[in-house]
Amino acid sequence: MLDDVTPKKPVLTMADISIEFPTPRGVVQAVKNLNLTIHKGRRVGFIGESGSGKTTTALSVMQMLAEPGRVSTGTIDLGGTDILALNEEEMRKTRLSRVAYIPQGAMNSLNPIMRIEPQLWDAILAHEPGTPRADLKSRSDAAISSVGLPLHVGQLYPHELSGGMKQRVCIALGIILTPELIIADEPTSALDVVTQRQVMQTLNEIQAKIGSGLILIGHDMGLMAQSVDELAVLKDGELVEHGTVKQIIESPKHPYTQDLISSVPLVGGDSFLNPDKQANAPRRDSTQPLLRFEGVSKKYGAVTALHPMSFTLQGDTPQIISIVGQSGSGKSTMGSIMLGFNPPTTGHVLFEGHDLQRMSGTQSLEFRKNVQAVFQDPYACFNPFYRVNHALKFPFKQFGLSQGDKHTQQAMEEACVAVGLDPDLVLSRYPHQLSGGQRQRLIVARALMLSPKLLIADEPVSMVDASLRASILSNIYDLKDKYGISILYITHDLATAYHVSDYVMVLFKGHVVEAGPPKAVIGDPQHPYTQLLIDSIPWPDLQRAWGHGGANWDPSEQEAQAMKVGAVYRGDVEGFDLVRA
Amino acid sequence: MSRIPKEYIINRLITLVLTILIAATLIWIIPRLSPVDPAEIALGRMAAGAGTVENADEILATLRAQMGIDQPMIVQYIKYIKGVLLLDFGLSTAAFPTPVSALIANALPWTLGLMLISLIITFIVGNLLGALMVWEKTPRLWKVAIPAAMVFTSIPPILSGLLLMWIFAAKLQWFPLTGAYGLTVEPGWTWTFASSVLQHGFLPALSIVVVTFGFWALGMRGLMITVQGEDHTTLAKAKGLKPRYILYKYMIRNAILPQITAFALKIGLLIAGQVLVERIFAYNGMGKLLYDAILDQDFPVIQGVSYVIILLTALSVFIVDLIYPFIDPRVRHEVA
Amino acid sequence: MTEATNTPLTRAEKRQARRIRRFDNPWRNPKLIWGIGLLLGIILLGIIGRILWNLDLVFTGSATLKLPPVGFENLRRQEGVWDYPLGTDGSGRDILALIIIGAPNSLFVGLLASLIGMSTGIFLGFTAGFVGGRVDDVIRVISDVMITIPPLLILVVFQSSFGDVSLTLMALLIAGFVWQSPTRLIRAQVLSMKQSGYVQMARLSGASTGHIMFREMMPNLVPYLFGSFIANVTTSIVTAVGLEVLGLGPQRIPTLGRTIYEAINAGALIQNLWWWWGIPTLLLAVMFIGLLLINLGLDEVSNPRLRKLS
Repeated sequence: MLDDVTPKKPVLTMADISIEFPTPRGVVQAVKNLNLTIHKGRRVGFIGESGSGKTTTALSVMQMLAEPGRVSTGTIDLGGTDILALNEEEMRKTRLSRVAYIPQGAMNSLNPIMRIEPQLWDAILAHEPGTPRADLKSRSDAAISSVGLPLHVGQLYPHELSGGMKQRVCIALGIILTPELIIADEPTSALDVVTQRQVMQTLNEIQAKIGSGLILIGHDMGLMAQSVDELAVLKDGELVEHGTVKQIIESPKHPYTQDLISSVPLVGGDSFLNPDKQANAPRRDSTQPLLRFEGVSKKYGAVTALHPMSFTLQGDTPQIISIVGQSGSGKSTMGSIMLGFNPPTTGHVLFEGHDLQRMSGTQSLEFRKNVQAVFQDPYACFNPFYRVNHALKFPFKQFGLSQGDKHTQQAMEEACVAVGLDPDLVLSRYPHQLSGGQRQRLIVARALMLSPKLLIADEPVSMVDASLRASILSNIYDLKDKYGISILYITHDLATAYHVSDYVMVLFKGHVVEAGPPKAVIGDPQHPYTQLLIDSIPWPDLQRAWGHGGANWDPSEQEAQAMKVGAVYRGDVEGFDLVRA
Repeated sequence: MSRIPKEYIINRLITLVLTILIAATLIWIIPRLSPVDPAEIALGRMAAGAGTVENADEILATLRAQMGIDQPMIVQYIKYIKGVLLLDFGLSTAAFPTPVSALIANALPWTLGLMLISLIITFIVGNLLGALMVWEKTPRLWKVAIPAAMVFTSIPPILSGLLLMWIFAAKLQWFPLTGAYGLTVEPGWTWTFASSVLQHGFLPALSIVVVTFGFWALGMRGLMITVQGEDHTTLAKAKGLKPRYILYKYMIRNAILPQITAFALKIGLLIAGQVLVERIFAYNGMGKLLYDAILDQDFPVIQGVSYVIILLTALSVFIVDLIYPFIDPRVRHEVA
Repeated sequence: MTEATNTPLTRAEKRQARRIRRFDNPWRNPKLIWGIGLLLGIILLGIIGRILWNLDLVFTGSATLKLPPVGFENLRRQEGVWDYPLGTDGSGRDILALIIIGAPNSLFVGLLASLIGMSTGIFLGFTAGFVGGRVDDVIRVISDVMITIPPLLILVVFQSSFGDVSLTLMALLIAGFVWQSPTRLIRAQVLSMKQSGYVQMARLSGASTGHIMFREMMPNLVPYLFGSFIANVTTSIVTAVGLEVLGLGPQRIPTLGRTIYEAINAGALIQNLWWWWGIPTLLLAVMFIGLLLINLGLDEVSNPRLRKLS
């Protein structure tokens, strides 16, 4: 249907493809009657949630479906070759030389006991046996430098490289035989935004240079908007919409696509939270400050994760304080210090005037009751041995809130309803029977039941499907708004921080670099590091092109510059005092 | 090129020294807790030889002085530790006055030879079969046959040794029943001697190999399943590498690493199992020496043999630990 | 990818479906059931044998020497008789009576030694994992050192100095060498579980250390503990049999290992008295195969990926 806009020859034509997996309960259709054509030099994004069949479709082109999956109908044509008719040896020769696959887990995709160079060489040798060593060397060097890595990387082992470098090695590997088609399966899902932008630009640049087709698999609408020409939206194994990025983002036709686009929070855009809830949250009586950091710092050996920091969070005015930063910024260390899991190297953490490290048994129980948390990984938070209600019931009884089993059951059910879960459906299940979103909501329900004074939410939505993020965040927002719970929201996602928080602190290498109300800090960043972060976000907005530095955009310079600039303070909020360094 | 970090070597050396010290001390302390008096045993042996012994008390005292057991414990202990470190275990009481170290020096090469051959063969065969159980390109017949063979590998080598000995030596008489070489053959660098040694060594080695490869195969199977699911195996396939190359360079090469650590941990049990096999085949190694010493209540030999085998085990573990950083580059990195 | 079509399955697909259905109840694992069956068989032999058979036949000289099992003939052309259905040994003891008493003994030593070793391992592993610091260092180094020392040799020294030992004492001695691997295993698991989300959640819920250890961690350790326990039973029995075959171990109680020892010493192999050493060997083999099957079954229960293969 796109033939009119692209006159070039197709590199891949998938006609009426269905993929099925036999299971005990019958045959499951993972992909249903999918038709798609990819032209030379075009970049096509496959977008959808986990289980939508996007990776399965891509793997069928490689003939690498997991057992016992099989293509049941249709044909796959790669530049004139019928892929499904190839025998095993012919298919082997086709892989990499004609269609390359860049896998999702760049962290573990390289053989850990081989240096980088031989891993590039064996790929060449598998397709062109007998290539002389000097030739191998010059080709691997060319590939390594084409993805912007220094040549000595070839002599290193994978564990000596950072995540972004490993991902770029995988790209170098993918293009080393100049394939007709590159399939990149969520190539940046494990990377920070800044590195993500760098890697994506490398990939796009090199794809343009060799002129191959590209399939980019992902779930992030913003990343797609910044990277591809066409978008294919998949839902439950069906291609629900296909068109140019412009068509899809500006006028999505299918309701699912509309949902996908509207669920992405934008800085400055409409709030995805309920807009009339901007009234002040209920106040609490309190004489002591709720949480106080007095010169708290943390060192791990020679590495300083957190430089001395002091602040006071008052107990009477509930606020949501966001702590924003990339991995290694010290934000998670802060979280575990606040929970008392990790003693500070210097300074004191006071909860209602008591030092966390010197609490008596009853004070400690009181502290636990009043400071709760939501963690990043909703899969790990439930003990696989128990039904999920164990995680709700146990603390309720432990803190003496229960007035008998009936009361506990009633409290659990109410909490479930409050976060939008049907208690009959979830409470008596085992954790593996629930989805990630359901589990994370249960954890929020747990916090609600215990009604603590302070909730620490450490990346609560980063492992949840995009469409559910907004509703879970609004559950958390309600905790403050309706129940007067103060919240410390730890995240790498500036857009969500912009919407939910009353105050934002940006952390960079253990220092606060910019702090203030979100409208100022995120809406109009002043510090170079905050600017870098904002620039790196892929906006699902074609008008707002990704940054301005072009393909040879180098964040290390900006980071170096950011090190020299002191912290910028952008204003205050009631109930929270950050001591200025 | 990074080298092995110093702390790593020092840590392993400490473990080695501690192992040797603890083992030596246990071997020394246990007989001293026992009510049995070695001097009386020696006296008993003399009495058995000569009918009656006069001046029994005087002889006992002399024997005690000779054995050094009249001295304070701490003095005895220090003397013993000094001796042990120099591999001096005193004189055998049964083959008096042959030094224990001479007896061990005669027996050790046999044990070492049998051990190296059987351990290496089992390790290679076991891991290869374990890998083949998982590999998707393994012929169907193999995939059925290997797990079936696995059932018998739970049997300790001593039992398989008895069975093989009965079938191939006693019934079919294809191989000699006992000993490390023929009684009529003169030891030396001759073809007759060499073939006799091979003939005698075949059954003991086989009885170890047939039943211990399963341990490695099972371990390897689990590791291969993990490696098979790892991203680098997927990428290797996507690179269009040949299946055999992926099997060796990507799968086995990674899966074997924990097996090597397991080898270091299991080596003691394996050597002990071999000692028993030597005993039933009356093979001229440490096992037979130990068994004869137990029959004769020859304590210095029992201690010496036990100590040397433990020393051998500890040294093997140490060597495996030293080689390990060279086959797994991540270790070099982690410790540094 | 949810709805399943109702098209009839081919035979290959049905077989596949049967295989996959095993995921539903992992405990109904054929290997596990067979393994337990074999061991129960040996225990039953001990119990029923004690009721039905005349155990006085284990004493020396209670029967004609070297009689073959029923249906066989020995070198002296004597035929087996129903009074001694499995034959007799070189000193006139009934083999059936020997194994009725001996087989449960071997199993008893293995189970007791492994139970003690396991308990020690659980205690030390949890202590090392929770207390950390110096205590952890000491436990770790000692278990690293002790794991390389073969138990057989220390026990040889012990038993040749002390002479006769009882079955229980032998089990206790062996237990001194089978606590290391459970200690290492549990320590490693505890260290990784300590970081896990659900243990952190439990701490947030104000749980005591005891609650975290026994209510949160222990249930998840069960498959590992079982596996380690069975592996230790095997090691313990191998060690015990090894000692017995060297002529050590209990001298006055019939054990399978000691019977084999006597058979070898009497030259049973050359005299073709295969039942003398063969029947105890077979019984031990059955015991080890049973233990291996249990261990394989448990492996499959705790690691679903293994189930796909068989």
